[in-house]
Amino acid sequence: MKKRINVLAALGLACAFVAISCSDDPVNPQPGPGEDDGDLTNTKYIVAAHPNSAEAGTADYLLTVDDLTKGSISTSGNGLEQRGTYRYYMTNQNRFFSMLYGQGNPGAVTSYVLNGEGKLTEASDFVAETVQVFTPVNDEVLLIKVPRSGNENAGFFRVNAKDPQLVGEASVNVVKLAGNGERAHFTWATQVEDKVYAPYMSIKGCCNATFDTEYPDSTWVAVFSYPELKLEKVIKDNRTGVLGEYFKNGIFVDERGDAYGFSGASKTRSVNGEDVLISKNPSAIVRINKGTTEFDQDYFFSFEEKTGGYKINAARYFGNGKFLVQTYGAAKSLAGVKFAVVDVYEQTVKMVSGLPDNIKSATTTNYGAISEDKTKAYVGLTLESGSSYVYEFDATTATAKQGLKVVGGTITGIHQLKY
Amino acid sequence: MQYNKFYTAILLAIGISMGSPKAQVVQRDTTRADSLQDQRLIDSVVVMGRTRVHEINRQAYNVTAIDATKLHNSTLDIGHAIDRVSGVRVRESGGVGSDMNISINGFTGKQIKIFIDGVPMEGFGSSFQLNNIPVNLAERVEIYRGVVPVWLGSDAMGGAINIVTKTRNRSYLDASYSYGSFNTHRTNINAGWTAKSGFTVQVNAYQNYSDNNYRMWMEPSNINTWKREPAQYIRRFHDTYHNEVVMANVGVVDKKYADRLMIGVQLGKTYQEIQTGAQIESVFGSAHRRGNIVMPTLRYYEKDLFIKGLTATLNANINVGKEQNIDTVNVRYDWLQNTKYQDAPGGERSYTLYKYSDNTGLATATLSYDINKRHAIVVNNVFTTFDRRGSDELFPENEAYEMPSRTRKNMTGIDYRYNHDGKWVASAFFKNYNQRLTSTSSYNPSGNWGDVAYETQKMNYNKVGYGVAASYFVNPDLQIKASYENAKRMPEAFEIFGDMVNRVSNLELKPESSDNVNVGVGYFFNVTPDHRFALNAGWLYRDAHDFIRERLQTNQTRYIMENLARATNMGVDGEVRYSYHNLISAGASLSYHNFRNMTMYDNPEATEISLVYKDRMPNIPYLYGNADASVFLTDLGGKGNNLSIGYNLLYVHNMYLFWPSQGSEGKHIIPTQFAHDVNIVYALSNGKYNVGLECKNLTDARLYDNFSLPKPSRGFFLKLRYFISQ
Repeated sequence: MKKRINVLAALGLACAFVAISCSDDPVNPQPGPGEDDGDLTNTKYIVAAHPNSAEAGTADYLLTVDDLTKGSISTSGNGLEQRGTYRYYMTNQNRFFSMLYGQGNPGAVTSYVLNGEGKLTEASDFVAETVQVFTPVNDEVLLIKVPRSGNENAGFFRVNAKDPQLVGEASVNVVKLAGNGERAHFTWATQVEDKVYAPYMSIKGCCNATFDTEYPDSTWVAVFSYPELKLEKVIKDNRTGVLGEYFKNGIFVDERGDAYGFSGASKTRSVNGEDVLISKNPSAIVRINKGTTEFDQDYFFSFEEKTGGYKINAARYFGNGKFLVQTYGAAKSLAGVKFAVVDVYEQTVKMVSGLPDNIKSATTTNYGAISEDKTKAYVGLTLESGSSYVYEFDATTATAKQGLKVVGGTITGIHQLKY
Repeated sequence: MQYNKFYTAILLAIGISMGSPKAQVVQRDTTRADSLQDQRLIDSVVVMGRTRVHEINRQAYNVTAIDATKLHNSTLDIGHAIDRVSGVRVRESGGVGSDMNISINGFTGKQIKIFIDGVPMEGFGSSFQLNNIPVNLAERVEIYRGVVPVWLGSDAMGGAINIVTKTRNRSYLDASYSYGSFNTHRTNINAGWTAKSGFTVQVNAYQNYSDNNYRMWMEPSNINTWKREPAQYIRRFHDTYHNEVVMANVGVVDKKYADRLMIGVQLGKTYQEIQTGAQIESVFGSAHRRGNIVMPTLRYYEKDLFIKGLTATLNANINVGKEQNIDTVNVRYDWLQNTKYQDAPGGERSYTLYKYSDNTGLATATLSYDINKRHAIVVNNVFTTFDRRGSDELFPENEAYEMPSRTRKNMTGIDYRYNHDGKWVASAFFKNYNQRLTSTSSYNPSGNWGDVAYETQKMNYNKVGYGVAASYFVNPDLQIKASYENAKRMPEAFEIFGDMVNRVSNLELKPESSDNVNVGVGYFFNVTPDHRFALNAGWLYRDAHDFIRERLQTNQTRYIMENLARATNMGVDGEVRYSYHNLISAGASLSYHNFRNMTMYDNPEATEISLVYKDRMPNIPYLYGNADASVFLTDLGGKGNNLSIGYNLLYVHNMYLFWPSQGSEGKHIIPTQFAHDVNIVYALSNGKYNVGLECKNLTDARLYDNFSLPKPSRGFFLKLRYFISQ
């Protein structure tokens, strides 16, 4: 029985990892209208999904739908095949980018647009690096290759989104950046005004314990100029933990230009074969005010305290100070899936009702579907029973409603394009 | 000099199957352990071919033997030689020395066991594969496509290949050298000498070298712009492979205490540049791999031990060679050979100098007893050990976490065989498999950073397998065979412990099993005495559970082996051969497999049936075949000088890389292959001097076995060979 649980846990982790490891445009939830996209009024949703299968190496399929709130769809005989088991998706400039995670090797990227009929059409195909961070910055895509061991240089690559090609690159020595004998591992990066803020965690990067650390209770944000990608400063704090997580965004900019940082403060270490929490600080939200490069010491929103012990897993911005936060199944737990609506202005947390109780994985950080009025978010939830659904989350009422069903498949991303 | 023997050898050497009975592919009895050692039998096989259906002791197994001597004037390696056998598909990722994966009736990789002279070829290291062993090493190659006989004691899921290197003659010299496209050099020296006293020396040395700089048609991506350049031919530039191997044996034959007792050593080394990753987009210009093999061997064989009819065989070897991956240049290459260096420690893929040795040891013992003409018993035991130790000088701090991993595997088989005067043969067998794993893993006992303690885990698996096989001659020209095996396979150490480079360990990997059924029919007939035909047809069924498959690990950087699906396969294969006098020989074969995923639910909690339930297994060849034709001109330009012209076609139907039923657009396909090879061989002085000229991939087709990884473009090869024996 123990073995079965382990296998299940591994599967669950794998799925959760795939589901939460992509994120798109965190700055601007709407695909930015390019100079020729201004008149486009029709929207299509791109749902990436793969069939559930005990067989390894299955591909993702891109399904194009008009409505996420009802109906059902399947990858059987339907969808645009995407090579590779691990793919990451994002949009910028009304382009949809499908990236192959190439195991540290160069990775192929395909970009798509919707044609006049709303059909997903290949725009370009190029070879990039396999990266752990990809984020829109102006009309470019910034990719960061973050080595977890061996190589000490993290590579930064700027790609023109409309005519995909490398337009600039830089590198940063992550061992020197960490300066504590460990490695700085960027969790994500977010455009804040005309700069790029890249939070990182400190990791050992060796010794059979790559992601272990002696510093589980610190927050670091590396500030880079753009487009020069010069390291200008590291912002530090010791009230909570790392912002974001591996492949998860942790910094969001609101309409006022203030940046909010979300920390799960959930670093674990394997002790006697069990994962034990080593972060002592609470899971919390912190702020960097517009025009400053320091944490606002007067702002500290302890999610953990407000919820009686829940920790943040992932977050997504609705707008107007409201966030959808994915948390865990119970207080003090790092397993299971629950959701909450958080208001960072009022410092309130409302748990979301209307959710199924057998959620295996969720696409919280990587959906591109926020309604025009910034009150609804669309997240893919895959259930233990095998199917997955798009759920519509309401920022005002903190409720969730079941929408489009993806039969027998796992949703790995939801994005929107205009045509 | 034994003229007849010599004559036959020459005929074979130049590819002549003189007279229609001598089809290119011969079948013979290999159920008897002693037959392996019986030189005379090999002669008879060579001469008789498969057409002498009334040849006694025809076995019930579904086996095809390639008479390798007929290919000794070609530049083929053993891998490519067996690729021409019905039901067998050899997939390669590139040119000489590239990764090779053999599939037999849908089973692949480690599910197929490979033997040399009946000794499992385990622990030879990843760099010694069938596609870098020259065909001249082999006397013949036997391919078991269903039941694996007990005397080949090992656990196979449904298929085994046995390379028989035994030399036919007491004293001989076979020396050859070939040169060809892509700067490919191959040398083979095979020599043996037996004194009147019975003292015997055998030396087999071979070498392969190739730059593998063949052309590929592509739109190369530029690392400076990340844009694709216009479609063009690109030559591979970092794909050099070479290996050098010496096998030497010293011993005695025909002694009172031993019909054959040899001690020897196999020494070899290999160098392999890594040109690409798993996809053509991943280009490397510096990473490479080295390996060596240091393997002492012992071979003992005694007929009529103590009593008449009792034969004993004993084999033992241990490989203490090492393997190393070298990736220490922090550079990025593209196909245009642009480079970008970084001034920090790093590698192209993974910064490593990891070096390890698996210390694989093996001992096999076989006792066979012919009770009388009709009844025989074979008992076989195979014991293997594996004890991995490795380190990486780049990361000495990791050594604390590097603990030995050990396996001990023991397999015992017993086979009873009944032979009714050759009219029908039946065999029933039972096999017991035992595997004991010991692995030590490090863990953190206190929660304080850097605290390390060790824990030893032990696992023990015991499994049994069994089966029956029978064959019946309806009349001397028509044979029917059927066999069934409940086959088990213990995961190999490499699958359990990984290789510390590209593969991580999975200590929970379970043995896999399969129920295998084969039914076959062979028919030989003459339309007129000049036009002779041979037909072979087979039907097979496989029902595999806990199927061991490779998948990407969750962290996406390495592979892990997993027990996954249940899968079934129903397949058919057929072969027809034709010959006309001594002039023409031709044949064709075709195989079809209906290999389906039968995993209904993808996890124990699932309530909905998997979308890919009953779907065809992707990325496994399911329709493929071969055709060949040869013309022989004897005594051309003088008596004893013979010319042959041969043609070979390989066909593989296209297949989907991913599930066939899923998606509607942009499906990834591994395209249909038509590979044409031609060769001309001129043998002078009854095969003493031979000149062979070959063209591989005559039409310069773009051939792919694996998605996006092209196989070599057209190449020309010349081979010179000298052969004498007595």
